[in-house]
Amino acid sequence: MLEQIARVMFWLCVGEIAARSGLLPLPAPVTGLILLYAELAVRKKLPDDLGILADRVLQFLGMLFVPAGVGVIAYLDLLKAEAVPILVAVIGGTAITLLVTAMIASRLGSARAKIEPRKPGELEELARDVST
Amino acid sequence: MSALSHLTDLTWAGLAEKPVLETGATVFAFLAATRISRLGGNHPLLNPTLLAIILISLGIEATHIPYETYLRGANTIHFMLGPAVVLLAVPLFRQRATIRASGRLIVVGLAAGLPTGILSAVGIAWALGASPQTILSLAPKSVTAGIAVGISEQIGGLQTLTIVLVIMTGITGAVLGPIIARLARIDDPRVVGLTMGIASHGIGTARALQINEVAGAFSGLGMGLNGVLTAILLPLVCKLL
Repeated sequence: MLEQIARVMFWLCVGEIAARSGLLPLPAPVTGLILLYAELAVRKKLPDDLGILADRVLQFLGMLFVPAGVGVIAYLDLLKAEAVPILVAVIGGTAITLLVTAMIASRLGSARAKIEPRKPGELEELARDVST
Repeated sequence: MSALSHLTDLTWAGLAEKPVLETGATVFAFLAATRISRLGGNHPLLNPTLLAIILISLGIEATHIPYETYLRGANTIHFMLGPAVVLLAVPLFRQRATIRASGRLIVVGLAAGLPTGILSAVGIAWALGASPQTILSLAPKSVTAGIAVGISEQIGGLQTLTIVLVIMTGITGAVLGPIIARLARIDDPRVVGLTMGIASHGIGTARALQINEVAGAFSGLGMGLNGVLTAILLPLVCKLL
């Protein structure tokens, strides 16, 4: 397990170096995500411990946003002053996105797709992956 | 007496420097929020993150603790976000077979949904006279929160505002997604799931999983790919403008 924590921190550090040196205009964790995916794709196998670590941590991913979310208290006046544009943009924008994406994807996207049968236990895996 | 008060001072000084209380409060608030959410049948409106933010904010209000003190202490939890986002590679890797089998649908969905998600929000906010900072904070609203905060920082938005907007977007998508799919007469669970993941990230994915497992799988996929691609494209576009 320690090995897997080290693996995650290694790619995160590479991402941080790339971001700080101005090499990539990407948030460090996203670079880390891409590099970890690339490593797994090359290995063609997911180490068991890494899967367990991801399931455990991602289960409470939603908790990790709480401190930053609380910071919005400092901007309550801004939120109140711009409540109308913010609410219309979030609700209206999301409705438009849902409609446009669903219409285009169903018209142009479904031609050659096929559904793979699921392995037992895969639904549980998915449920664990879900988070904010 | 003075020895005792000196001792109390020391204890409090120690607590103030260590993030124990703030971290503990955050964990307990989130645990309570998860319980409340479960009691309500995990309804999207009872989002645990939003409930926990409200609980902590009320606590800060009641105890008159400056929120900066809380933020400094709760930094331990905020830090974990980085490694957690890297770990999102794992669910994405597990779904590589699905990506290959439905490549065309996924590419079309992303090509339509990614720009629409950004432009619709930015366009509406701009037309209604929102400030530039608010518009920039809104731009990554459809992206999963861990990635969205990074993008927001990169393009000059407010991270903390982005978090709240991301959660609001997720709740909206989770509530409206199935309704809009019904109105547009779209019943392919792959399309519905992918759409909800692209438009409303993890909160939409949790709702898509309640429709069925295929919708859930495509939603998780839409969320992950939309997050990574937006992180690559949005800062680039902002730089060019």
